[in-house]
Amino acid sequence: MNDYIGIAASFLVAGVITVAMVVLASTLGKKKPSAVKSDPFECGQDPFSLPGGKQAIRFYLVAILFILFDVELVFLYPWAVIFRELGVVGLVEMGIFLGILMVGYVYAWTNGALKWQ
Amino acid sequence: MNLDIKHLILLVPELILVGTALVLMLAASRIRTTLPVTVGTVLAAVAAGLSSYWLLPDEPKTGFGDMIVVDGYSQFFKVLIASALALVTLLSVKRNPPLPPLAKGGLGGDRPAEYHALLLLASTGMMFAASAVDLLTLYLGLELTTLCSYILVGITVEKSTSNEAAIKYFLLGSFASALFLYGIALVYGVTGATGYGAIDSALSEHGLASNKILLVAIGLLAAGLAFKIAAYPFHAWAPDAYQGASAPVAAFLAAASKAAGLAALGRVCLVAFGSEGVLSVVLVVLAALSIIVGSIVALAQTDMKRLLAYSSIAHVGYALLGFVSATSQGASASMAAAGATATMTYSFLYVFMTLGAFGVVIALGQRGESLDGYRGLAAQRPGTAALMLLFLLALTGIPPTSGFAAKFVVILSVISTGHFVLAVLAVVCSVISAFVYLRVAVMMYMNEPQEPEPSQYSWAVSAALVVATLVTVIGGIIPGSLTFWAEAPS
Repeated sequence: MNDYIGIAASFLVAGVITVAMVVLASTLGKKKPSAVKSDPFECGQDPFSLPGGKQAIRFYLVAILFILFDVELVFLYPWAVIFRELGVVGLVEMGIFLGILMVGYVYAWTNGALKWQ
Repeated sequence: MNLDIKHLILLVPELILVGTALVLMLAASRIRTTLPVTVGTVLAAVAAGLSSYWLLPDEPKTGFGDMIVVDGYSQFFKVLIASALALVTLLSVKRNPPLPPLAKGGLGGDRPAEYHALLLLASTGMMFAASAVDLLTLYLGLELTTLCSYILVGITVEKSTSNEAAIKYFLLGSFASALFLYGIALVYGVTGATGYGAIDSALSEHGLASNKILLVAIGLLAAGLAFKIAAYPFHAWAPDAYQGASAPVAAFLAAASKAAGLAALGRVCLVAFGSEGVLSVVLVVLAALSIIVGSIVALAQTDMKRLLAYSSIAHVGYALLGFVSATSQGASASMAAAGATATMTYSFLYVFMTLGAFGVVIALGQRGESLDGYRGLAAQRPGTAALMLLFLLALTGIPPTSGFAAKFVVILSVISTGHFVLAVLAVVCSVISAFVYLRVAVMMYMNEPQEPEPSQYSWAVSAALVVATLVTVIGGIIPGSLTFWAEAPS
């Protein structure tokens, strides 16, 4: 059970900081509302449009390419931590892994996935 | 655990397929003709099949920290998957390959390199599934297969039915994968292991056989695997996916995908949960319902690929009969082994007869897709009609075709473990399915032709049909000649 105390403590700290920030900002801060400021936060999208509109397929391609490198990094981090223990074998294995991933990248590149047409 | 060259040798068939797929991907933008890709893929498949047979060990060999095993069981299925890959590649050759009209950005049109790379990678996943002795390796293998299959089903982008089929297959498939993964998590929670051997010893040591959470986990695993082999009630995707996909892709799903799913299911049932009595009940239900529903619903079909889809659902039910007897409580070790090899024999012979039937559908082109296209075929193309008749007889299970030999061994194995009701059901449903298949035969031989003669088909399709015919005839005349080396998993 003692193992979970750390987790509980971090939940507690995170909760306290979040609540404190919101409370402090709304009591101490100056308020100058504008139309843009009172919109819900969205990444460049109109928050009040009906779903089902068209989304350019290019975003999908970018997302897929992002996953390619994202997954690569997920595996590189733990590998880097124990790099010395793995030695040359680890280096070769990671080289093979990256080589296979790079084939996917080269495929995307040679087929024009990186061009924003 | 270091990279040991001995471990890599165990994976030679997979490495051949992956290597070929990578080369195809790298060269994809330069490849415009199908022929070199077809030849390369067939050569890779043959090399993978031969190396699988060559790797056949006397003793099971495990590798990569007990993640995979190479034994008689895995190599049997690997040879089968490699042959199915070679035949499907041949069946994919079109008579006059249209020059690929490449749309902007390189999408659309015929992309031979991508298509074949996906076939190769899907087969690699199937081989991993056959070799897996750890639930996580199995999951990886099955996911590799299904991810490639989703794209293969939708690869004819200009056909809207193909897109629809791919989306349906994708949604249901991801759901099934999630269930399967949840099952793995629960098994790990109960037993603390994902390896088959460790699960088995944990179950017997701690007396977990009737643990309620474990029963839920087994249900989830069975559901996930039943989806892969399209057994009732997890079959709903198959008819839509087969109908929407191009005929060679449908053939690949009906043949190779089912064989790999059965290979995985067999090892999970017999090795990991061998002491679990409930699995036998689950398999009895899956087998009985698949046979009944597949045979009866096939009666109502007017689309040839849908008909073959329901036929494949029924056939997977028959194939499961072997595992039913292998897992039943009263079975001795030799009876269990006989049951497992019965399913292996059935899968082997079924793959070739269903590929043959799909081969004729492909040979007839657009005309072969609907049932009406077969009217009067015997008058126009006696040879093709005779071949179709052979494969239909085999699917029905009439001697001297391989279908009879296959049904004989599985029904015999369930009788040996006392499942008489199931045996009677299997025989009765065979009679019902005779109605389905012979309806096509009647159309071919007793109706007047209504459509113009189909055009000639390519040499590659003929070659694939020859191989399928040989296996179907030899497997029927000399039962056991081709599958004597089937070996139960240990």
